Amino acid sequence: MFANWGKFLRVNLTTKEIKVETWDEDLAKKWLGSRGLGIYLLLKEMDPKVEPLSPDNKLIIAPGPLSGTSAPTGGRYNVITKSPQTGYITFANSGGFFGAELKRAGYDALVIEGASEKPVYLYIKDDHVEIRDASHLWGKLLSETQETIRKELKDENIKVAAIGPAGEKMVKFAAIMNDVHRAAGRGGPGAVMGSKKLKAIAVRGTKDVPLADREKFMLAIREKINKLRADPVAGGGLPKYGTAVLVNIINENGLYPTRNFQTGVFKYAFEQSGEAMVDKYLVKNHPCFACPIGCARMNKLPTIGVTEGPEYESIFALGSDLGINDLASIIEANHLCDEYGLDTISTGGTLATAMELYEKGLLKDAELGKSAPPLRWGNTEALHYYIEKIAKRDGFGDKLAEGGYRLSKMYNGEEYFMGVKKLELPAYDPRGAEGHALGYATNNRGGCHIKNYMISPEILGYPKKMDPHDISDDKINMLILFQHLTAIIDSAGLCLFTTFGLGPDDYRDMLNAALGWNLSTEEYLKIGERIWNAERLFNLMAGLDPVKEDTLPKRFLEEPMPEGPNKGRTVRLKEMLPRYYALRGWTQDGRIPEEKLRELDLLPLSK
Amino acid sequence: MNKVINMIHIRVYAMLIDIVGSRSIEIEGGGKTVRELIELLDSRYPGFKKELEKGFLILLNGINILHLKGLDTEIKDGDTIVIFPPVGGG
Repeated sequence: MFANWGKFLRVNLTTKEIKVETWDEDLAKKWLGSRGLGIYLLLKEMDPKVEPLSPDNKLIIAPGPLSGTSAPTGGRYNVITKSPQTGYITFANSGGFFGAELKRAGYDALVIEGASEKPVYLYIKDDHVEIRDASHLWGKLLSETQETIRKELKDENIKVAAIGPAGEKMVKFAAIMNDVHRAAGRGGPGAVMGSKKLKAIAVRGTKDVPLADREKFMLAIREKINKLRADPVAGGGLPKYGTAVLVNIINENGLYPTRNFQTGVFKYAFEQSGEAMVDKYLVKNHPCFACPIGCARMNKLPTIGVTEGPEYESIFALGSDLGINDLASIIEANHLCDEYGLDTISTGGTLATAMELYEKGLLKDAELGKSAPPLRWGNTEALHYYIEKIAKRDGFGDKLAEGGYRLSKMYNGEEYFMGVKKLELPAYDPRGAEGHALGYATNNRGGCHIKNYMISPEILGYPKKMDPHDISDDKINMLILFQHLTAIIDSAGLCLFTTFGLGPDDYRDMLNAALGWNLSTEEYLKIGERIWNAERLFNLMAGLDPVKEDTLPKRFLEEPMPEGPNKGRTVRLKEMLPRYYALRGWTQDGRIPEEKLRELDLLPLSK
Repeated sequence: MNKVINMIHIRVYAMLIDIVGSRSIEIEGGGKTVRELIELLDSRYPGFKKELEKGFLILLNGINILHLKGLDTEIKDGDTIVIFPPVGGG
């Protein structure tokens, strides 16, 4: 086998058993690796009805076939597990350097099972694998955790993926952080890791990833790197302004969520934009492993020194969504979320839910605690105060730690939760891009933007400009294509920002050269379709009710956008959903019929 | 009788801010096409057109001009034009 090792590590934290297991090329041709391998293993080995925070849930951490190679952006990894926040599958993706290191240690995946009685961490150095005591690390923030581990193991080159206090306390939206500031965030995988008392995974890998045709591979990646460098986004906007370049673009297009999605235009957007960040706080940009783009921001504040981030999503979540304009506070809040190990989108979304409940009089001052800052729109103190309270499940923070959906139910304000399948919505008001809206409603993770990023065609014009308010089959087919292509890019171990410059054929070229395969683009997209359907199957088996849950909050279906370019718009979900199901070959109640399961070879996994 | 002249309101972003020296401009006279406006801006702010060579994202009253008449879209008095270089797409 090439690119993939054909090997994964199974660690049972209850029995402390460590095993190396194999998987073969036939399986790789069906699932590719990483995200694909992860859903296959979970469907094969686990009952989708397990309790997410019980020892029965499995946590899979997996780089892909191109991770650890010199493919552009070849360093990403996925965390696949059952989410304690949604009760459905999550596949959180992260960059940095940890994924490449894990791959170079010789593993296609870590499968973590059971739960330890006491805090432990995993140390992997190539073939050496050890479970070590982590009681001295429990409670530590991310940077101190990484530093302590590196000192203890006497190796500054060790890469660390860890949880902060939030994961330890099983906050529903706790993240797994690697390289301190990179988040595998959505859906609370950090809580799963915390439930297993696994504080960290420390890895050192020195093996070179074997390639089927090195010359063909190097030629292919040189071509792709040049395409990325020539692209105005991948080679221009992203390195210069970061993902924060989107703030002004999305705001001027009228879908920048403001005050819990009450509107799509934020008066103070410029102050928190990529342009403003460059002028005020940016030190330099920063690439991940093997990345020619380099979109990450290194910002410096007088209060905290140098930090990494924030990304566009974090700016919205800790900024406009809360009516907050202050970029310095947003940068600090992002830093806090990183150190405590929290998904920024859900942290902001939960606070936004709380702020609207407060505004509507459903959540009273007395609930917040003595001298607690009021949850008023624009109150930046709320960021610094409540983020720590959430991470420690302290006082009102314990309620916030349950996430926006559960919080809204506690205060009889379910209609003020802006999320799907209990996952808080990211930085695009669906009333401004109806294909993206359909993506939110149908995404296997819940309210997720990135696994079907229709903002690309609908607002940005990649691969081609589509009318955001067109709801024809053309639009729906593009969404389905995005859902499949993203599954392939994720499973390959690459970054989705390569789509600014590369197309489906480019991924085919790199994968074929590395793996030694001769698959067509359509065949790769078929693997993507299989992965998507398998994730859907998992959710259905976990109890998903499509009629109730493939939907959007009432605000987007019934309340017209009050201002801006999308004034008057609502989402015509009812007109799109039946056609989405039909185009997918699903039943009209959103289930996968036997013919489709058979076509994708999923029947055995559906029993 | 005084004639009220309406301006075209223009907002620019990213590298265009440095080229123009400001985030927004007001210009007299509708009736131009977007193409003509860009020529005019390029004559006043050298380098403006070059930034848009690889692409652009231009909104007329919040609507992307690609869904109107592209660069031949006509601008009226009182309109707002927003111009991005292709930093986030275009």
